[in-house]
Amino acid sequence: MVVDLVPQFVPSFFQSLYTPALYGGLIVAFISLIGIAMQKKDIHILILTDLVGLAMLIVVAAVGTDLAEALVLPGLVVELAEIMAISEILISREMRKIGSEKSFVPSSFSLDMEILYTAPNFIALILIAYGAFLSGFTGGAVAGGGIIIYALSRTARGLPVVVVDGISGISGIAWCLWIIGFVFFFVAPQYWLLSLFLAAFGLFLKVASKMGLIGILMREEFGRK
Amino acid sequence: MSLETIGGSLLGTIPLGDIVLYLNPLHLFLFVTILLFTFLIAISRTETQVEAMFGSLDENKVAVGKKEFKHRRFLAIVCGIATAGAMITGDLFNFTLFMALIGIVNIGIVSAVKQIDVLDSAYQYGLIAMMCGLPLFGGAAMILASTGTLSLFNLAATPTVAPLTIFGALVMLIGIAGESGIAPFFASKAEMFRTPGSPFILIIHLSSLFIIVRAVEILLIIIHVI
Repeated sequence: MVVDLVPQFVPSFFQSLYTPALYGGLIVAFISLIGIAMQKKDIHILILTDLVGLAMLIVVAAVGTDLAEALVLPGLVVELAEIMAISEILISREMRKIGSEKSFVPSSFSLDMEILYTAPNFIALILIAYGAFLSGFTGGAVAGGGIIIYALSRTARGLPVVVVDGISGISGIAWCLWIIGFVFFFVAPQYWLLSLFLAAFGLFLKVASKMGLIGILMREEFGRK
Repeated sequence: MSLETIGGSLLGTIPLGDIVLYLNPLHLFLFVTILLFTFLIAISRTETQVEAMFGSLDENKVAVGKKEFKHRRFLAIVCGIATAGAMITGDLFNFTLFMALIGIVNIGIVSAVKQIDVLDSAYQYGLIAMMCGLPLFGGAAMILASTGTLSLFNLAATPTVAPLTIFGALVMLIGIAGESGIAPFFASKAEMFRTPGSPFILIIHLSSLFIIVRAVEILLIIIHVI
């Protein structure tokens, strides 16, 4: 690591952590590659391959700047997308070998939790309010959790459970807000506060409505008898 | 400046904060060519294979269904656009993202086929692509750690090249080779082309060819060879 790139106020202890973290990530990757080489079953290989992805996150996160964080998030998403794609391929291959066309979605899955009957409104409200306070990606996830609880509880106390059909439309429009915020950052840096709030609340609305959509889809899919 | 010796004279820059896009003849040529190929692939129809049956004089037609055709055409167009983006980008970070996107989309193009051998090959290629996510992103992170920037325009202007930068560039080369499935890893990918639907399968080849040309240029810029 080139030392003169690092600002003066960073303690030297933190700077010295980079090399051990880099070696640590490479050693984790090497051990998981040995594990992959020793396994015989395809599903075990797939699970162990995810460990290499975790080692990638260690190597990237060792840098510890905002640019490195910008690499961590897409790296994580890429790993998730690839493991989902490969497991789809594995399932479809095994289905072709057996020759059956059965769906893998569980046919009946009853969500029989007491919390869904007694306190959904309160919890959903608190989660949405806290999510709006947080804003951004985290806030979207928290508020989306609230919407999921509300959507999954068929008998919310006192209020009728409404299914919002246009919720994916909200998600799309919020996504545009986010992108406009990002473009503003680049072309007009003096309006950074406006673009920050556009990006934060666009992302909040997008993630929250997307997770609420997942909750509604899950209820439709799993509630089927 | 080493940017000009590889790609030809600099036609102009588009400064967007610390991301500086720059245009030169090599990038423009690659960009336009891959967009033309993507357009040709988007308007074409799939081939139908005729397999000779073993032990008789009959033949077996292997055609692509309409749903699978639409799915594959969409993914092939996404793959073409991602390759075009990787051709024109002036940022190492965007390049790694486009590379990873091409890796996923290549798996997706063959994911809906019915042949078990092809699915097997797509599975092997997917495993290699996932493992090579480590050298790809890790190499970019090492270059970031040793130079403090991911913009190619700034990377070309750094006065000296640290050993960690060269190591990161080599590691990133391994990652690019694995994600696009070229020479040392090609055995995992070779069976993927034994399926009907030729023009959409071709984009897998085409994207890896184009991306390797661009990757070599980027790595030469980073390690200041020319």
